[in-house]
Amino acid sequence: MDLEEIQTIWSEMSDQLEQQKKLTNELIMKMTQDRYSNKFDKITFYETIGAVICFLAAIYFLVNINKLDTWYLLACGIFTIAFLILLPVVTLGLLGKMKRMNIVKNSFKETIVGYTKAKNQLLLIQRVGIYLSFVLMFTCLPVFSKIMKNKDLFLQSKIWLIYLPIMAIFLFFFSRWGYKCYKNITNSAENILKELEV
Amino acid sequence: MGKEESFTGIIKENEGVIFKITTIYTQNEQDQKDLYQEIVYQLWKSFDTFRNESKISTWMYRVALNTAINQLNKSKKHSNTTGIDQVVLKQTENYDTEFENRLKIVYQHIHQLNILEKGLILLLLEGKKYQEISEITGLSETNVGTRISRIKQKLKSRILKN
Repeated sequence: MDLEEIQTIWSEMSDQLEQQKKLTNELIMKMTQDRYSNKFDKITFYETIGAVICFLAAIYFLVNINKLDTWYLLACGIFTIAFLILLPVVTLGLLGKMKRMNIVKNSFKETIVGYTKAKNQLLLIQRVGIYLSFVLMFTCLPVFSKIMKNKDLFLQSKIWLIYLPIMAIFLFFFSRWGYKCYKNITNSAENILKELEV
Repeated sequence: MGKEESFTGIIKENEGVIFKITTIYTQNEQDQKDLYQEIVYQLWKSFDTFRNESKISTWMYRVALNTAINQLNKSKKHSNTTGIDQVVLKQTENYDTEFENRLKIVYQHIHQLNILEKGLILLLLEGKKYQEISEITGLSETNVGTRISRIKQKLKSRILKN
């Protein structure tokens, strides 16, 4: 198959598509109306649910912050609250940025550049999120234990002997997988950006 | 002519174009249906702002291609696509097997290109002049020419390899 043949096949397909019109006025308007009513739940449903859970947990920790009576428990509490508020806010903000792109006015080039940049930032945030969530695993357990049962887990070495090695194994495999995925996706995105911004 | 009537007229006239764009930017039927519906919706949404400032086809390709890029990130979240099944699924019902196989090979080659190259090759295969491709993509005409000859080279070497 050569390029001329590709062109011929494309034209032939276009002619056939031209002959078999399938859409009706009703179907076209139904598509736009269905889409309009689906719009809100579709775009941010999962992200919003996740954010709400994080915010509720952050509020719970904030309300009970006075129960964290040592400097290290307080530090864990502050980190946990900051993580639960900041990460969803930044992620939702970036998703919003991607959605606000002007599809009508922007050229194809501008859309690709905008999309690729926002996607890179989102991937970076997700990657940072993966690493920080391991720190979160370390910080939220003692905070929870102190607030719910008034127990200081840092004084109970047995729990850490089990908990820390399991966390280390998870961290090793999960971060290796995360880094690999991130690198592959961003590499191809970076190439397109470089090409377009020359 | 009312707004709905002129809109549906334009969509019916260009349904093949939307179908082709959805085919090169998606990997499965569900995503294709989803993108098809999203493109029609975005065209309807922007129909008021389109006041013959550019050619209908320029507006249509621009909105459709931009929507395809914006939709890339959302492919896992399927929404309701009622009604569209009967359109997208049956587009190829009249093709003979040999033609369908050749068409599959064409799409395979196009699918290997990056998101920008896919758009450019589509516009070229649609018979667009460099000037209109430049208006749709925002690249200069010279840039369009250079990129298209690179894509041709790329396709040629891939075809030879196979």
